[in-house]
Amino acid sequence: MNKWMKTLTAALILAGLLVSCSSSSSVKLNEDINIKVIVKKQNHDFWAVVEQGAYAAEKEFGINVDYVGPASEEDISGQIRMVEVAIEEKVDAIVLAAIDYNLLVPVAEKARAAGIPVVIIDSNIKSDKMNGFVGTDNVDAGKVLGESMVAVLGTDIDIVIVSFVKGAASSNEREEGVMKIVNQHENINLIDTLYCNSDEDIAKRLTKEILEKHPEVDAFICLNAYATVGTARGVIEKGMEGEVSIIGFDSTPEEISYLEKDIIELVVVQNPFSMGYLGVKHALDAIKGIPFPRSVNTGAVVITKENMYDPENQKLVFPFVD
Amino acid sequence: MGKRIKNNKTLQSISRIFRFGSIQSVITLSFASISMIAMLLIGIVFYSSFSENARNNATGSTTQIMNQTRLNLEYYLDSMIEISNTIEHNMDSFTSGSIERLEDILSLTLDIREDIESITLYADTGSILMSVPDLKFDTNMVPYDQDWFIFAAANPFEYIFSTPHVQRIYQDIRPWVVTLSRGVVLDFPEGRRNYISTVDMNFSRIEEVCSQVALGHRGYIYVIDGNGKIIYHPQQQLIYAGLRDEDIQKALSSETGSYSEKINGEEISTVIMDVGTSGWKMVGVSYVDEIVRNRRNFNNLIVVILLVGLAFIVLASVFMSYKISQPILRLENQMNRIEKGDFNVDNLEVRGEDEVKQLTRSFNLMIERIRGLMSQIISEQEAKRKNELKALQAQINPHFLYNTLDSIIWMNENKNHEGVSAMTAALAKLFRISISKGNEIILVSEEIEHAISYLTIQKMRYKNKFVYTIDMPEELSGFSTLKLLLQPIIENAIYHGINNIPDEGKIDISVSREEDALVYKVCDNGYGITSDKLKNIFMKESTSRHSSGVGLKNVNERIKLYYGQDYGIEIDSEPEVGTTVYIKIPVTEGNNE
Repeated sequence: MNKWMKTLTAALILAGLLVSCSSSSSVKLNEDINIKVIVKKQNHDFWAVVEQGAYAAEKEFGINVDYVGPASEEDISGQIRMVEVAIEEKVDAIVLAAIDYNLLVPVAEKARAAGIPVVIIDSNIKSDKMNGFVGTDNVDAGKVLGESMVAVLGTDIDIVIVSFVKGAASSNEREEGVMKIVNQHENINLIDTLYCNSDEDIAKRLTKEILEKHPEVDAFICLNAYATVGTARGVIEKGMEGEVSIIGFDSTPEEISYLEKDIIELVVVQNPFSMGYLGVKHALDAIKGIPFPRSVNTGAVVITKENMYDPENQKLVFPFVD
Repeated sequence: MGKRIKNNKTLQSISRIFRFGSIQSVITLSFASISMIAMLLIGIVFYSSFSENARNNATGSTTQIMNQTRLNLEYYLDSMIEISNTIEHNMDSFTSGSIERLEDILSLTLDIREDIESITLYADTGSILMSVPDLKFDTNMVPYDQDWFIFAAANPFEYIFSTPHVQRIYQDIRPWVVTLSRGVVLDFPEGRRNYISTVDMNFSRIEEVCSQVALGHRGYIYVIDGNGKIIYHPQQQLIYAGLRDEDIQKALSSETGSYSEKINGEEISTVIMDVGTSGWKMVGVSYVDEIVRNRRNFNNLIVVILLVGLAFIVLASVFMSYKISQPILRLENQMNRIEKGDFNVDNLEVRGEDEVKQLTRSFNLMIERIRGLMSQIISEQEAKRKNELKALQAQINPHFLYNTLDSIIWMNENKNHEGVSAMTAALAKLFRISISKGNEIILVSEEIEHAISYLTIQKMRYKNKFVYTIDMPEELSGFSTLKLLLQPIIENAIYHGINNIPDEGKIDISVSREEDALVYKVCDNGYGITSDKLKNIFMKESTSRHSSGVGLKNVNERIKLYYGQDYGIEIDSEPEVGTTVYIKIPVTEGNNE
């Protein structure tokens, strides 16, 4: 009897070992992987499309994506807290669109130190410890702006650049890109560079002022949506639509409406869907140790009145968001 | 310590299992391998039938899900066709000039059907004749630039579904719609006129229907139109951005049905369906391994069951073979001992399987028999020996008798009548006790008397060459003793001891009790025995001419035969000083008869 008991116990222990071995030795299943996507702002046109991209990746790879973001794009501490929470939750990876180039660095590096891969999308941070970056190459986007300006307006023009925040990485980079093109043509005259602080009203005011000072302005090169809309409003108020060209950035409904009314010449749009999708995909690759490019430019596309309804552009320009 | 022994034992038993050729290893190996093969076969059969089944189920369920989705899509498309038909059926009201009636009907339809965004009627010039809802038109839109307008105008009476696009009829309203356009030809009194009717359905409905389809975790469906243009794809933007490929051409050229292929080592199953009359194709892409996810779980389960079962079988077969071979092994051990001549083994406990029980029983019986035979032989041998000795002791050396009788005659001739009578009496007593009715056992007092008779005769014959003393405590006289123990010793003492010395000989005989033993002591002051001779003293038979025929060896053997190995003769001797002989026998009450 005793002997039977011993045999039975041994067999059970063996079985237990086998089971535990077989379950622990297998790699983490996709369905057990949790990725936190932290963006700048929730329920906003641009970020809603990023969300779509992130969920497309979630569905494709069968993982779990949690999509969060502060209510406002100025809520830096709110976003830092969200990263902290993600670290506490021991998520498998973080996809982050940093509100601030510098202030998000410590918490993002803390996540890295905790062994959590971090992939930055849209807006980078000042750290080389991140696993990757997916977003618009802003210098490149600036160049696209400059090139399409030259293509539409020629090389003998007087221009004004309407940037958004002096010192912000993205605005500096876009400016740099535009200037690369401007500097190639000696007859392009940069009258001034304005900073609107991402405020439409300031942009409008500055536009009207510069138009009074420099009526010879041929074109405004606007580096984000606020600058574009504000400048367009200023030009309209001045009654100078048609006389002054506006080269804009992004595609808010108001911008689209100006585009259709020929007030805006063209806009350069980004690809937020790709940011969301590739951000999550690369985070998953980082978890699994699959190599992926450290930096991906999701590109910038020139949208004009003519091509805005093309099938491949429609979704960029009119993202449908529930 | 105990543990180590146990470990050792375990080790031994393990090494025994793997001692190739042993019953245990044969049973263990054959049983384990047969069961292993059986289990593997069962596992493989189970697995293949299960996975085939699961795969069929998966494809079946994919088709089923897609059919459901297709029906939903067709419902939406059919409803658009119905509305389009409504327009056509009410066109007569249009020709009669009362456009309001049609407008009312369509507004009502729009109210009921939330999924319909707008319904519009164009003239073939592109001007809008009527539109619900009644909103401000966007003048930027030029209908005859639009695909849906061009196709409908070119193919009157055909239902033409557009790809999803942004509808821009109205100012600042940019819904995603699928447009059904149809060219209508009306006969007016003044001639034929062409119209184009459009029904715009909110695309989010179609998207909802398609995106909610779950083909496993990662599977998806997409819809293309007859030209391979994407109606719906969950990752349309990635395809446009060049981040993703979809083999639309293949789907377009393939027949309705399903096929599967391996891409990057993953089995992908594609199901293609036509959506109603729209010319659309619905393509379902599913990952077989994932849909048949149970297959992997089942896989693991089988492996675990196999391993657990295997462990069980190995243990069970080890145990079983141990159970079978252990009694045989015990038997083997026992036989080894007997082989070495040790018959004093205990009977083996009869246990184990029936055959082994039988074997053990037979073995025990055999040992019993052998043991019986052996003891029989021993007792026979003993009896034989005893008889021999008995015959020997009954023998009186004729020389002794002649010499004694010669002495008697000689004394008679010398008129020594006293001597004659004493010697004759002694001789008579000697014989009487020697014979003593054939009994082996006599009383100690008789044995002493026997010794005295002998001494008396010898003393007369040797003319008082020696003296002797007898010391027998009265309480010992009643114990019994083997007869004729003292006489051969005394004889030795006389012939080999004191006969050869110049001085007067002296023989002291005593009986004493030492616990449970009775000890006769015969002490002489004779020549003594060298230690060389002493060693072999019990080996040689007495051959002396003078001997009464019973030597030391005989005495010793007789004692041992009767009383066991604990008793016998011991000799202390020192050359030139004398010899002391101890005869040790057990104390036994005499049965005086």
